Amino acid sequence: MAEFELDLDNVTFTYEDETTALANISLRARAGECVVVLGANGAGKSTLCFLLSGIVPQIFGGRREGKVRVAGQDPWDLPLYATSKFCGVMLQDPEVQLFNPNVFAEMAFGPANLQMPREEIIGRIGESLELLHLVGLEQRNPRDLSGGQKQRVALGSVLTMRPRVLVLDEPTSQLDPIGRWEVAEAIRRLKLTHQMTIVLTTHETDDILELADQVVVLDSGKMALAGSPAHVFSQRSALEESGVRIPMALEIMDGVQRMVDQPSEWTAEYLKDLDALKVSSGIKAMIHEGALQVHAEPPAQKAAVVQTRDAALEAVSVTYRYPGNPPVVALQDVNLSVGRGEIVGIIGQNGSGKSTLVKCFVGLLRPTKGQVRVNGQDIAKVSVGQMSQKVGLVLQNPDYQLFTSSSREEILFGLSNLGITGESAEAKVHEVLKWVDLEKEIETFPFRMSFGDRRKLAVAATVALDPQVLILDEPTTAQDHRGRYQIAEIGRRFRDEKGRTVLMITHDMDLIARYAERLIVMWNGQVLLDGPTAEVFRQVDVLERTFLHPPMPTQVALQLQPVGLPGDVIRLEDLLGALGRKSA
Amino acid sequence: MQVPFKYTYRDTLVHRLHPLVKLLHVLLTLLLIITPLYSIRFLPVLAVWLALSVGLWSLARIEVSRFATLIKLLLGTFVFLITIQGFTYRFGDTVIVTLFQWGYGDTNLGALKLEGVVFGLLLSLRMLTAAASLPLFVMTTSSADLMTGLRKLHMPKVATLMVVSALSFTTLIFEMWAFILDAQKLRGFDINQMNIITRLRKAYVPIVTPLVLLLFRRANDFQIALETRGFGTPGNPTEVERLEFTVRDGVVAAFFVAVWVLCQYLRVQIAAGLG
Repeated sequence: MAEFELDLDNVTFTYEDETTALANISLRARAGECVVVLGANGAGKSTLCFLLSGIVPQIFGGRREGKVRVAGQDPWDLPLYATSKFCGVMLQDPEVQLFNPNVFAEMAFGPANLQMPREEIIGRIGESLELLHLVGLEQRNPRDLSGGQKQRVALGSVLTMRPRVLVLDEPTSQLDPIGRWEVAEAIRRLKLTHQMTIVLTTHETDDILELADQVVVLDSGKMALAGSPAHVFSQRSALEESGVRIPMALEIMDGVQRMVDQPSEWTAEYLKDLDALKVSSGIKAMIHEGALQVHAEPPAQKAAVVQTRDAALEAVSVTYRYPGNPPVVALQDVNLSVGRGEIVGIIGQNGSGKSTLVKCFVGLLRPTKGQVRVNGQDIAKVSVGQMSQKVGLVLQNPDYQLFTSSSREEILFGLSNLGITGESAEAKVHEVLKWVDLEKEIETFPFRMSFGDRRKLAVAATVALDPQVLILDEPTTAQDHRGRYQIAEIGRRFRDEKGRTVLMITHDMDLIARYAERLIVMWNGQVLLDGPTAEVFRQVDVLERTFLHPPMPTQVALQLQPVGLPGDVIRLEDLLGALGRKSA
Repeated sequence: MQVPFKYTYRDTLVHRLHPLVKLLHVLLTLLLIITPLYSIRFLPVLAVWLALSVGLWSLARIEVSRFATLIKLLLGTFVFLITIQGFTYRFGDTVIVTLFQWGYGDTNLGALKLEGVVFGLLLSLRMLTAAASLPLFVMTTSSADLMTGLRKLHMPKVATLMVVSALSFTTLIFEMWAFILDAQKLRGFDINQMNIITRLRKAYVPIVTPLVLLLFRRANDFQIALETRGFGTPGNPTEVERLEFTVRDGVVAAFFVAVWVLCQYLRVQIAAGLG
């Protein structure tokens, strides 16, 4: 057996359209090692996964230079089914990977194709079900499972093929917090129990510190950084240039160490089990040693919610039941009021009622009981089309709406539905494309644009209708660190410059902390918490009941409250602003 | 939008039947309705088989609303058949109403004839008999059982997978269609608010274009998902899920054949009576 299960030497790959997606990549990994690949969208992460698993060139053609060996073989020369014997791959979207009628059949599909003996396949399925905590779901249709369960089934369906190298392309990017935790746990268990070489691409740097043996950072197809997590995460400026966020725990410690003029160089020992408790203990020690002090004045907070604002949007005792046998209660007696000009975050696990609530707000669903009011007017009799000027909803997947041949046409379509044509419509097109920084793409065919740009175009098409309330549904899905904030930033500008109301549904707590002044937590179809963001994030026990955690700065600040830290810290700047170097 | 005849698991005799026995019911139905049943006197033949299908629906504990949906879907076709036959049937003399005088030979295409209406009803009943069997099969057979059953028939693995993935793509298309309708409604484009002519003229481009583009993308993803899991490996895949053909399956299959033979006997007797 070769020394390295993964051996890439000076690999360059160019797609058929002459886009060079990878340039001079060299990478080696032994059996049992986990290589985490980071990078912004378009950095080449997925192409690397395709190259290792043989999807390139068998599905997507192109030219390759350099040497690639996966489990001692070159996938370039083999049909995909042959590569699948030693290299398994799991992609971002669990939906597209599951096509069998039940979980058992899904897991049996791969090894059955490889003509493993029946008894061995059944044994492997049993092991995978246990490892991935899926026992009892064997006969369930994968499509009826939660996002986390689906992705674990997809992982199980690869594991039963017993590949020597496992490639995971952003396996958690489309999941809610529970799903993310479930999949991350499954990968952790897998690493402990199997001597498999794992290649994992992700944007979620907070989740990988325990997993990674090596970290590779790609930037425009080139290797910007490579090495141990301790080495890579010590290179702050290089990471920032590549659009990779440092794990928040390290970001906090980096900020603190800079205050006391200490270099931020991490050791493997320090990164082990790094959590809020460990970070706060480090800060506490520095306070006790006299290197740091807590400012007496609390940090400047964002403007508090103005309770006297007129209501832009109201839900009055709203209940919604999806028909079925038995009916599913998705919302139960929801009462809330959103004031004009507020930016409100809505968080909660999948199935908690967030999407049903916003669909009631735009009229796509009519409440079984109760009333939805926009600017005080009951919308029961207003059609969804008419609602588009009152409440605009930007869906997670832009591809459900884009159909024209250019960005201009896409925006004009919505305007013409409202009777806005001619010069005023053209002016609007330019205005909103400028807002979302897509002016240069005015004549581009939307399906040729990146996913991030298609999402921005969908936002532009909604903003062009000038709704009084803008709802952003999961602006962070499948987005990198930079991309996820761009859409939220558009929402903030919409409020600041036009005085409109913005609602954001997201699983990203840091994004909420940065943008939302008020936070609503949904659980089991009800509003569990509703109040100023900092106050809601302080309710740690209640949040934990819904498997949610406040952002890391809040967690650290709560640990540091006994030494005088204010309790309303939610952002990194708040936390660092509350601390300072002790003057001599 | 809900898929109207989606498989739902229930613990009933019909659900537990071997898929090939249920497939036999579908095939016998099709064979019956393609046999010449040209007179209203053949009504008992169709009634016997339809009664069998309705009995199976009931045994499978399928909601009455599903049967109502089936009738609702076919209602337009029934009305069309009855009307067309009513006005164009050449072998009837009993005029119900005359709207205008126009036709060829002795046939007045402006007169609605009782015999034509009855023949239209017979055709509708044939269609209902055929349509009642397939949803029953789809609603009571999981695609896992279907896949195993088709393999038992030695159907090539590519064809088996095509059938099963076509079923899963049907669900997907319904879901995507609903998402796209919602997405366009949110931009002020609501086809539910349009009349039929406007819909036909301009409504479907904003709906069908994203659907087709998404389906192309899905098909690509599907190919990747299949091939990276060993699909295409030369030779036959291991048969992991096994379905046993029980005595009960044999008895039910024999019962289906017996009822079918009875229907054919009735048909021959009626045909002889008609001379």
